[in-house]
Amino acid sequence: MCGIAGLIYKDKKTHSVGKSLTSMLGSLQHRGPDSAGFAIYGGLNLPKNHYQLNIEIKNKNELLNQVKTTLTQSSKIFNEEIIKSDEKDNIYRCEIKLENYSMLKQLITTLDEIEDIQVINGSQSFEMIKDIGKVKDISKRYNVSKRKGTHGIGHTRFATESGIDRYHAHPYQSYITPDITVVHNGQITNYWKIRDPLERKGHVFKTLNDTECIVHYIAEKLSQGYKLEETLEAAVKDLDGPFSILVGTPNGIGIAKDKLGLRPGVMAENDDIFAIASEEMSLQNVVNTEHVEQIAPGETRSYTI
Amino acid sequence: MSEYTIDAKNMEEKDLTRSIKEHALNYDKLIIKNPQSRHNIAAGVTEEVKIEIDGSAGYFIGTMIDGPKIHVKNNAGWFAGDNMTKGELIIDGSAGDGAGQGIYGGTVVVRGDAGSRTGEIMKGGTVIIGGNSGFMTGLLMMGGQLIVLGDVTNDAGESIMRGTIYVLGEVKSLGKNAKMEQTTLEDQKELKTLLTKYGFEITDIDYTNFKKITNKSGKPLTE
Repeated sequence: MCGIAGLIYKDKKTHSVGKSLTSMLGSLQHRGPDSAGFAIYGGLNLPKNHYQLNIEIKNKNELLNQVKTTLTQSSKIFNEEIIKSDEKDNIYRCEIKLENYSMLKQLITTLDEIEDIQVINGSQSFEMIKDIGKVKDISKRYNVSKRKGTHGIGHTRFATESGIDRYHAHPYQSYITPDITVVHNGQITNYWKIRDPLERKGHVFKTLNDTECIVHYIAEKLSQGYKLEETLEAAVKDLDGPFSILVGTPNGIGIAKDKLGLRPGVMAENDDIFAIASEEMSLQNVVNTEHVEQIAPGETRSYTI
Repeated sequence: MSEYTIDAKNMEEKDLTRSIKEHALNYDKLIIKNPQSRHNIAAGVTEEVKIEIDGSAGYFIGTMIDGPKIHVKNNAGWFAGDNMTKGELIIDGSAGDGAGQGIYGGTVVVRGDAGSRTGEIMKGGTVIIGGNSGFMTGLLMMGGQLIVLGDVTNDAGESIMRGTIYVLGEVKSLGKNAKMEQTTLEDQKELKTLLTKYGFEITDIDYTNFKKITNKSGKPLTE
């Protein structure tokens, strides 16, 4: 089933996006108990060419030092912290500086080659928080409610395919173009047809999860110069299966629903907020829902600031 | 009339419906405060009690009811009135996909718009949509009557086998096995009786403008 939620503040100012998404996803907890995640845009405030990395590190002696040694070959480390996640792993969060964006993917690939570490994400304009467990527990563990931003997307997962772990939790990120994230509710039935041409172009897939395939597809379109709305329209034509996909970009959010409308998606807005979710009960946390719009089969909606 | 108010704010879904069933035995009317779009509200209630939902309901509001008259004062989620056999479900706002799905009897009224697949596999009863209805309205319909005062989008009456869909607005396209014709005077008279009962005020000329969608064949899936 899975639950999806997203919101954007129209005034372009930062607000309590973490708190809003926590309450929106908390209302959708019944749709998926396995894991949950957030991508909160606009509050990270990193200087140009600085990136935040979230790295899962097994609790083993010297492993953290090995990661730091690898990082320092590319960059000085800024603002590091260790977040306790579970008995087996910690999340090492740090800030680095790179000369250009293409070096980020290269660095992440190098880090992923170290045994027992997994880079969860690397970002410039958004903060990624995802883990196994329930929304409220993850939100508390990572202090999500304190995180500000202009917009964000989130997910609560009922795993129907691929693994249940931190990396497989949504959102997924692509490094084809900066800071694109996707959460998804459904199944992509022409997965290999979409994945194959992307791989031929050199895009690396790390999982068999169809959301990873979608985020690369979306990022590829955006990198070709498509606008968000055009990208979503292309997704409706090219992707098969039941789905509602919710996309986050550095300046907007958007949803696309499959041609048969087999997965839910509703939206509501007022002068301040544009919000999307699987169900009305999620929207009720952030906007007056007297007027709720159903996203129709094959329809797309987006809002950019 | 005896009334009882249930505050649903901190109630689990099953506890809410259990409370509704218990109090339906002793009261004429139940008012549900703070429904917060919960799913399955009043599922399986069989008492002829009035139930007023003071807000929005989630998925499957009034599923499998046999008797109560439910009034939702705001919106409803997917599958409103699913498989109901007797009673009334009135939604003042909009409804999600599958409103009136599989009903055998009774009446579902949505005063605003409905999503897709309205009246899917309905076998009897009446569904009235005051606004527009989406994709595949009346999908696999097997009986009853479905009335839409606004527009319907693509594939109306997809694979319809029996029953009738009346549409006052535009029909974007018909689904397989569906045909469209003008209404008879008898149809118009029945529509007026029904719509007037539920407070829809439309002109006499409008009644002549209803389109009637029925099945071409009684066995569309075996031909």
